[in-house]
Amino acid sequence: MNHDIVLQVLDACDARRAERRAFMKNAGFAVAGATMLAACSSNDDGPGSMITPTPTPTPTPSPSGALSDQDVLNFALNLEYLEAQFYSFAANGVSLPASLLSGTGQAGAPSGARQVTFKDDAVARYAREIAGDEQAHVAFLRSALGSVAVAQPNLDLSADVNGAFSTAARAAGLVGANQAFDPYASDENFLLAAFIFEDVGVSAYKGASPLITNKTYLEAAAGILAAEAYHAGLIRTTLYRKGLTTPSLIDATEAISNARDSLDGSSDLDQGIRPIGTATNIVPTDSNGVAFSRSAGQVLNIAYLNKASVDRGGFFPTGVNGTIKLSAAS
Amino acid sequence: MNQEVELIEAFQQQAQRRKDRREFFKAFALTAVAGGGLAMATSVQRAAAQATLTDGDVLNFALNLEYLEAQFYAYAANGVGLSADLLSGSGKIGAAVGARQATFKDPAVAAYAQEIAADERAHVAFLRSAIGATAVGQPQIDIGVSPTSAFSNAARAAGLIGAGESFDPYASDENFLLGAFIFEDVGVTAYKGASPLITNKVFLEAAAGILAVEAYHAALVRTTLDAKGIAAPSLVDATEAISNARDSLDGASDDDQGIRAIGTSSNIAPLDANGLAYSRSTGQVLNIVYLNKAAVTAGGFFPNGVNGTIVTSAAN
Repeated sequence: MNHDIVLQVLDACDARRAERRAFMKNAGFAVAGATMLAACSSNDDGPGSMITPTPTPTPTPSPSGALSDQDVLNFALNLEYLEAQFYSFAANGVSLPASLLSGTGQAGAPSGARQVTFKDDAVARYAREIAGDEQAHVAFLRSALGSVAVAQPNLDLSADVNGAFSTAARAAGLVGANQAFDPYASDENFLLAAFIFEDVGVSAYKGASPLITNKTYLEAAAGILAAEAYHAGLIRTTLYRKGLTTPSLIDATEAISNARDSLDGSSDLDQGIRPIGTATNIVPTDSNGVAFSRSAGQVLNIAYLNKASVDRGGFFPTGVNGTIKLSAAS
Repeated sequence: MNQEVELIEAFQQQAQRRKDRREFFKAFALTAVAGGGLAMATSVQRAAAQATLTDGDVLNFALNLEYLEAQFYAYAANGVGLSADLLSGSGKIGAAVGARQATFKDPAVAAYAQEIAADERAHVAFLRSAIGATAVGQPQIDIGVSPTSAFSNAARAAGLIGAGESFDPYASDENFLLGAFIFEDVGVTAYKGASPLITNKVFLEAAAGILAVEAYHAALVRTTLDAKGIAAPSLVDATEAISNARDSLDGASDDDQGIRAIGTSSNIAPLDANGLAYSRSTGQVLNIVYLNKAAVTAGGFFPNGVNGTIVTSAAN
């Protein structure tokens, strides 16, 4: 089963994680020092003559050469369907309207989601805001893509013991064997479930940014990237504040982060919200203060909950629609 | 003086304009999507207008903004500015004046300040490395608390303080958060607006990573103000006032929002009807940091202007 693999690599990940900060610092400076300086140091004639450096291939295994902007935006649309349906059910108890779900590929349905009974009114307001934003992202991407927009694939949003949320939570050690994780059961569970998605969206859009050639799409994608980062910042800040009185929430974010990291390859692209020294860690960044990137394949590792190269699983039981559908061999 | 009067007049005009904001944006967005050609034309026009800019020009522009943010947070969080080795470069070198360590009561806010300070310092170091020998030096930066300081002028334009009064962003948790609020969303819109100007894919992805971090920071500040605003609603009002003041400076388009709830939803993420963050041109960003809606080359937080090739605010 998927979660067995996840549990195995999670153990291996713990050791790796201890060296994370030091490693990232070195890697970050190596990139900044080599790539960036190499790109710029030949310019001694003033800013007007800056030579356009040759793009250095990113270390991620994106099959960028063959991808069109439409492929990339359709890939993003699959992720937006997932987020939008989760928040729509959690906040309002309803699905996205059918008019926002049609398209090319195998049309599916979301399963197992329901409205959260929020206790903290602020969390309820946050859920409704994010639900509105994610639905807007679906509508916007569908409009931008027009007739080639992919349909919503099958989405596993259930609280079932064998559901994707439970598998992910089990991989993170939040629930035991045969226990379910119900993201709709409480404010805290909702926030943790949102945490599972949000930083991934940021790293996905950042990783996709160099793949987009059309400037209009690029700027729009930058706008969605920013929105996802606002959402992630909102969720992380709220978990941190609640974590001051419920420290297990902070532990849970670290565990989820480790589980994600165990799926997407050897580079550390993920951080929980435990403070580092006297500073908080609301913003997951490398030592350059820059957010992380994930390739499309790495994003699918997490969405499929599988570190191998597969075409379905986890939150997308029958896979995503479009041309980008394989997770990376991580 | 004139600048201040201008700000207040513009702010009053803005109040009316703001009422129509949501409707206007919805209509505009739908038009833009329905006619994909329109969106393209807008983008092409902007690209053409700034076709002579190199990636170095754009990154140096960003570096000026990062100096401002990094110094504000470094002083507020730690009481000391950036080290001298992070400040040298081309252009007119200046100092960051008037800042001091903030008086925090809420340990969480103090910890947030520490985190943001470290991130912004990292951005300065990273951009300086990326740009290399042509990196601009730090220009003169006004982050002081006198009645005529940039913070006080901005706060006065927003109606937070009266004539002759000071706004001190270091005096309390709340003032620090509002001081941070003045900057953070602007950084997001600046990087988003600059994204189509960057040609090199490595720089582009790095800039996207900084954009994301600025949005995380902005969300941190907005969420914290939202939480504190439940008990102190004047904080929510203040964000709306600052947002309106910013909007009054940067032209007719509404690209700014406070944190007041919209219906039963919060408004932590300031987005258009498509769920996208806003863009500002470099000229619009300079309108805000110069605190001037006219085309000028200095003022506000940069009393001697910014360094580099992009130095003039937009004529609004």
